[in-house]
Amino acid sequence: MKKKLGLGLTVLLLTAVLSACGSNGGNDGANNGGNNGGTDTTAAGTNDGAASGTSNAAEPAGDDAEPVTISFMHFKSDVTDGIAKIVEQFEAENPNIKVDVQPVKYDDYYTLLKTKMAGGDIIDVFTLNAGGQTKLFHDGGYLEDLTGKDFMSNFDANVLQEQATDGKNYIMPLNAGPIAVFYNKKIFADLGLQIPRTYDALMAAAQKIKDAGKTPFALGWKDNWTLGMWLSRDLPSNAVLVDKQTDFFDKLEKGEAKFADDPSTKTMIAHAQDLFKFGNKDQLGVDYNGAVDLFAKGEAAMMYMGTWPLADIQKKNPDLYNSEMGYFPYPFSNDESLNKLEFNPDASLAVNSKSEHKEAALKFLAFMASKEGGDAWVKNTNTLSYVKGTSTDIAPALKDLQPYFDNGQLYNSQAYLTTTIDWTTQFSQNVQKVFFKTATPDQIIKDMDDWVSKNHK
Amino acid sequence: MQALRKTFKREMWYVLFLVPGLFLFTFAVIVPLVTGARYSFTSWDGISSKLTYIGWDNYVNAVQDSDLWTALGNTFKYAIIMTVLVNVLSLLFALLLDSYLPARNLFRTMFFLPSIISVVLTGYIWSYNYSQGFPKLFAAFGMDVTSPLGNPHYALFGLIVVAVWQGIGPPMIIYIAGLQGIPGELLESAKIDGAGAFRAFRNVTLPLLAPSITINMLLTLTGSLKVFDLVYVTTNGGPSFSTEVITTFVYKTAFSSFKAGYGMAMSMIFFVVLVVVTVVQVSIFRKREVDL
Repeated sequence: MKKKLGLGLTVLLLTAVLSACGSNGGNDGANNGGNNGGTDTTAAGTNDGAASGTSNAAEPAGDDAEPVTISFMHFKSDVTDGIAKIVEQFEAENPNIKVDVQPVKYDDYYTLLKTKMAGGDIIDVFTLNAGGQTKLFHDGGYLEDLTGKDFMSNFDANVLQEQATDGKNYIMPLNAGPIAVFYNKKIFADLGLQIPRTYDALMAAAQKIKDAGKTPFALGWKDNWTLGMWLSRDLPSNAVLVDKQTDFFDKLEKGEAKFADDPSTKTMIAHAQDLFKFGNKDQLGVDYNGAVDLFAKGEAAMMYMGTWPLADIQKKNPDLYNSEMGYFPYPFSNDESLNKLEFNPDASLAVNSKSEHKEAALKFLAFMASKEGGDAWVKNTNTLSYVKGTSTDIAPALKDLQPYFDNGQLYNSQAYLTTTIDWTTQFSQNVQKVFFKTATPDQIIKDMDDWVSKNHK
Repeated sequence: MQALRKTFKREMWYVLFLVPGLFLFTFAVIVPLVTGARYSFTSWDGISSKLTYIGWDNYVNAVQDSDLWTALGNTFKYAIIMTVLVNVLSLLFALLLDSYLPARNLFRTMFFLPSIISVVLTGYIWSYNYSQGFPKLFAAFGMDVTSPLGNPHYALFGLIVVAVWQGIGPPMIIYIAGLQGIPGELLESAKIDGAGAFRAFRNVTLPLLAPSITINMLLTLTGSLKVFDLVYVTTNGGPSFSTEVITTFVYKTAFSSFKAGYGMAMSMIFFVVLVVVTVVQVSIFRKREVDL
């Protein structure tokens, strides 16, 4: 008994000692951080001077400069390895800068980033989405103004304007990609189907595929974002382009419009029911990976998705990837001329205004904005870069889209979403009630309007 | 007096050992609770550096928020079914594994094993089971099943199955310990008096097991009222809010809708609910306990 007591006490003491060590360690870390910060700011200051003196300070300002580490948090966790390679390339060229990369799953990204920022943790460089999220962080005073920086000239002026917040650029456009429908060329050929250019044609094709005993659409709607991604594009596309409700989301933000006023809300719900009907079995039980699997195995004929699953499909079914799959714009309406290719910005880069290593952080951005960085991005992440002149050759299936790129038949439905209200998640949950007949479309529209008015007074 | 002071001096030393625990409790429980209470009176969005106090508005809104009531309803539905199922099943297993079963230690280990796996991992395993494993398994017998997690009518029950599978271990151990604490002669004399197996269980075992029942009921009920991780990794409240429990709802409000102040107010309300439930439950079950 005594022995046990002694053991217990020892363990207790040990924990006390350890926890004391822990807190001390933390303090030390903080002190060091502070000290380092101090010296680094001066270092950055001198570098700054050097930079303004010699206009092109892309070369390392001097090998004797103290090495710095910048933290880089991003939400492209699906291409973690690819980004690690790009960072390696950057580090090889800038031996004095180490980049501490922190990939985070998109679903948790903003929560984590906000928590870190609010907790005083400084992330030097991080990815953001243009629009509401950027505005939020700008309002919080966390974003460095990038307007007019040298490297920003590597981007198209339109793109910069599109991603500007209050007329200024706080984020640097990084990558973009089409979101469209992958299709299985073999299934289409066997059934004699053409690429559908209107919504009705799409559904007619789906009916034929279903009649032939195949699954028309691979849906991974267990993951909320897959449904949300579709829904937050179908609705604004129809609202603005078909129903001409150009200021709908402005009004929604101000509380002057309701979902009930917008006919495209009903259109979207009807479309969702169609997709659900023509989807794989267990639509809400299969997740994104399951859906990609269905498509890769050739069990499903179509899949509405960005370019992310390409690498996965290549691994799972190289034959399909190389020659048997195509890509066509999602026809959200029955007016062929409106059904352009959805082309969306994805991640953009921001520099923390409170960063202690701004110089290094900006150098990192400059690298990502260079042709070299852009090409590295395309090669390693399989998505398209906004940097002028980078290649677009990321997969055979994307060749189908070349005419749309060449003719400029692109649009970005996300630019219509001029609201900070995050209605997508709420709506994708509500629309599931309609699938299972626990509510009518009118009921859920009313629920959505109630939710908006309750949450945004 | 002298002796008292001496004892005091000698025993004071042990107070020192309370310090780490007290320290942890203060900084991990008390401080967050107090700051949380403070935030609940603000319209803080979770990120900005200034706070605006809005009085009791958050609480008034919360009481009128039908979504909160739906979430509370789901939470209690989940917790009550869980409490009953976990306790009945773990008591049954305990009775079985307390008797002279061959290889009972092996079985005890096996039934306890799921409790060792992390909840996140369990969530992934069962998501896979439901959406891939079971459909393929049953397809081999010509049956067509789909994941219960994909259907709003069954999703909550799908989660309960997972939680029961994982949660049965610890209460089972407590029940086994309780059963082993019951003197054999009591059961024996009941037998001599002519009581059958069920009668003996009902009138001897069960009353003497009451302390174990109290603690198990309490632990499973409060534990499942506070469920978050399992729901978050498997369904995240879906489909169509059918598994939206209070914790996921608060989390979404605070972090996805940028209403940390409002989320805090709802947590505070839930905190009060939890305290009331616990006090009521303990006082009811305590009355039924008997001493040896």
